[in-house]
Amino acid sequence: MIRVAAVGDIHLGPDVAGQYRERLTGLADHADVLLVAGDLTRHGTLEEGRIVADELRDAPVPVIAVLGNHDYHSEAENEITEMLGEAGVTVLHSGGTMIDCGGVRLGVAGCKGFGGGFAGSSGDEFGEREMKAFIRHTRELSDGLYESLAALDDQGADLKVALTHYSPVKDTLTGEPLEIYPFLGSYLLAEAIDRAGADLAVHGHAHMGSEKGVTPNGVRVRNVALPVIKQAYAVYGLEKRDSSRPPAEAGRSAR
Amino acid sequence: MTRAGEAPHYLVERIRDRVAEQAHELGIHVEVCGDVVYLRGGVVSEERRREVEEAARAAAGGCTIRNEVSVIPAAVPDGEERLT
Repeated sequence: MIRVAAVGDIHLGPDVAGQYRERLTGLADHADVLLVAGDLTRHGTLEEGRIVADELRDAPVPVIAVLGNHDYHSEAENEITEMLGEAGVTVLHSGGTMIDCGGVRLGVAGCKGFGGGFAGSSGDEFGEREMKAFIRHTRELSDGLYESLAALDDQGADLKVALTHYSPVKDTLTGEPLEIYPFLGSYLLAEAIDRAGADLAVHGHAHMGSEKGVTPNGVRVRNVALPVIKQAYAVYGLEKRDSSRPPAEAGRSAR
Repeated sequence: MTRAGEAPHYLVERIRDRVAEQAHELGIHVEVCGDVVYLRGGVVSEERRREVEEAARAAAGGCTIRNEVSVIPAAVPDGEERLT
């Protein structure tokens, strides 16, 4: 059993500096890894980036993160990524990483993700260049997520987790106004996860959403935004799969 | 029309915009009933709760503000969910 701790939308700043770090003290008793699903800062400033890096520095377990929309607000995402890296946090922009958890290889593939909406009412890459750019950004990140998840199989992952800021499914948006769903996630992320297969998908961003959902192919999805889980992190126990059984029901299929 | 002199429909969005710009909180639900503005959602500190209220008041054109935003305790969890 691997225990995955996950949280998103911690939105750290000077007013709460030092508080989150205190809550990580006993983390190794609860979890093997901590996934952070974006929006680590409020405004994405360098000062906030330094605070986040200090909070997560030398955490008791490996920390893997993606950035969220707030972390891009001051256009300092590269510097924030660098600061987090120096603090020992692995930041995934469109890639994957593997960690050994007591002999079990846990692969994590992640990206920020983006919006666009969900199957049946999604935006299209059509029309004005702004609209095309919006959907293209989501599509490119989703394609990258697929590639990263698929590559984890080639690297011999025993378990795979998809980590995003934006949501891959509508289930975990329940509680949010329907009108803003297209700004909260995209089915393209779920499609990538289902095609490549995964054992769990975690995301944040939807503060008024709900915790539990599932992709069309049966991958469990958890919205770990702090206002949703209402605790320092949620912990999910994952059993190592029988190697003959692919992740999710359908596993990887032809694109 | 509200005391702010505009339809609640537009006032809601004006307040949401101000809360996003000034307090940088995007997840706050704003509801306008008559001349009363209700704010709901969760933030991580009492200071941010006050900032949300101040931003909303600045855009609410004299409407009464009812700040129902919660401060999330974010305690260490006492259990886990096993996904089998």
